[in-house]
Amino acid sequence: MNLMTVLLVAAALIGVGVWGALAQQTFVMLMMGIEMMLNGVILAVAGFWAFTGAGLPKGQVLVIITMAVMAIELAIGFALVTAVYRARQADMTEGIGSLKG
Amino acid sequence: MIGTIDVAFVVFSVAAVASGCGVFRVDSMIRATYLLLASFLNVGAILVLLLAEYLGVALLFMMTAEMIVMGLFMVMFMMNPAGLNPMNMVHQPRFAAAAGVVAAAGVAVVAVFADFPDAPVDAESDTIRELGIELLGGSMLVFESIGVTLMATMVCSVILSSATGRFGDGYEGSVAPALEPGGDHRPADDLYDPDAAMGHSMHGMDMGGMDHGEMDHGEMEHDS
Amino acid sequence: MNEVEQLSAPLAIVVVAAVLVVGVYVSSVVDVVAFRSVAGQRLRPGSAALHPARVARRLSRQQSVRTERPDMILRVLAPAAFLGLAAAAVTVIPLSPGIVVADVRTGIVLFGAAQALAIVAIFFHGWSPNSPFALVAGYRFVAVALSYELLSMFVLIAAAIPAESLSIGAIVESQAGLWNVIRQPLGLPLFLIVSLGVTFSGPLDLLDSNDLAGGGSVEDSGMQRLAWQTARHAMRIAFAACTAAVFLGGWHGPVLPGGLWMALKTFAVVALLGFLDVFVARISAERFVRLAWGVLLPFAFLNLLIAGVGAL
Repeated sequence: MNLMTVLLVAAALIGVGVWGALAQQTFVMLMMGIEMMLNGVILAVAGFWAFTGAGLPKGQVLVIITMAVMAIELAIGFALVTAVYRARQADMTEGIGSLKG
Repeated sequence: MIGTIDVAFVVFSVAAVASGCGVFRVDSMIRATYLLLASFLNVGAILVLLLAEYLGVALLFMMTAEMIVMGLFMVMFMMNPAGLNPMNMVHQPRFAAAAGVVAAAGVAVVAVFADFPDAPVDAESDTIRELGIELLGGSMLVFESIGVTLMATMVCSVILSSATGRFGDGYEGSVAPALEPGGDHRPADDLYDPDAAMGHSMHGMDMGGMDHGEMDHGEMEHDS
Repeated sequence: MNEVEQLSAPLAIVVVAAVLVVGVYVSSVVDVVAFRSVAGQRLRPGSAALHPARVARRLSRQQSVRTERPDMILRVLAPAAFLGLAAAAVTVIPLSPGIVVADVRTGIVLFGAAQALAIVAIFFHGWSPNSPFALVAGYRFVAVALSYELLSMFVLIAAAIPAESLSIGAIVESQAGLWNVIRQPLGLPLFLIVSLGVTFSGPLDLLDSNDLAGGGSVEDSGMQRLAWQTARHAMRIAFAACTAAVFLGGWHGPVLPGGLWMALKTFAVVALLGFLDVFVARISAERFVRLAWGVLLPFAFLNLLIAGVGAL
């Protein structure tokens, strides 16, 4: 376990997240793709902290910030999905393809 | 020399990536959500291996609660929640796969070829205590900003998802004007029923959008 | 930081298994005694002591019911995960001054994570049989569980403040002078409410309840039912042990050895939970959600404030 292997795992998770986010049609599955990407990012940040950060506490603070960003994105994302469904009855990305209200 | 930590790291990382792929392949929505949770749990375990102990366990804890909520939303919004029918709802599959490979390759190239300084974390130091002192000391402002941001998030999500608008019922307060005076902006076969909408919006925590039960939206029937 | 030497893996398994097996049996006997005393029946201690063995024998011979298109992976995973999480929770609790399976530095957060994952296991239990009452019970439980989840974390963090550490061993050691139940009086009632919730008993008996014809267990029979009941009692033991360690002073006590004090305190909490299960009526989910977010969570903040001021 060294920095290269940790970053390779993080790369795989980010790749899976990008694939999922772009391939899925529904909003909630899109959000799950974004969560996977943030998962990879958290792993990468922790890997950098553990191997090149010499235990600097600010590295851990960055991980906490990323986790808070995940929570915020989840909350606002679901609220937006609900609002979009109520306004346009759209639960797929094709449903809001045009800006016309 | 393969140690226990290396074996554990390989097991956790393979499980994380495999369950991550499984999220987008299974039919059942609950299984997809909890496969994502499994991916997070494995990353949390890797974080503990990397000596970021508190972060790993906090990730386990936080992601569990998040995935429970996400499971509820998946069942609410997806049309095949239990996976009883096989389903394949993807668009632009090849482009997405290519983009995923490119993204992973980009990060992997950096991982393999870049020259990083070698400053490993000291295994004897108390990373949890240092994190606590840092959070309430040097990074106090960052922490407070996150707190305020989370509060703004809470207020935003309640506003976005509440059914009543500022001028009364959400269905009335935000519709566009009609094409001809006295008419309704919606096509004639899609007029909303004010009595049904008023009756349903009296309940506090009601997902009002689902209760347009009288109207069929094409072939997509949402069973609430 | 830990003066306790770590147990080897086989010994650790033996210790956890012994605690859970003895604990599950005692907890079942307590349940039977409580039920008979509130039902006005004669206690018949001999038959009460053998009751769990009889129930286990009957259920292990019973036929398992198969529903239509259940989620079999989740159906098998639910009691297994619930039991495994109870075992994981027991590993971080110090059972005596010298015996703790894994006194990790983040013991209390690990306990909270095991509790949160238990909610997932219980949701699987309700979701997997593909049956309407079970699904309603599962959803109802998740609504209530998300309400007391935060309560539990704040209460445990408040208990960790005087110890200046997140490990439960350090929390026990910090109670050498004064138990946490006295210097943080709100903590114990709130944590008992959380315990009742996670083991769905007493006022929070909203999962396998009679008002839903058996709720999540409506389709359970045979080994599935036995496994689920065992896991529930195991979780009750884990929470009772944690209550004893975090609020009631753990293995501290005047005359008897530390392990015996821990066992006595755990038994007292198990008896309390068992009797509350039978004596207190069920509270409706909606009412409890309002109570938890409106009243109990401010009490948890007050408890945290008391703990913080006490640490100044």
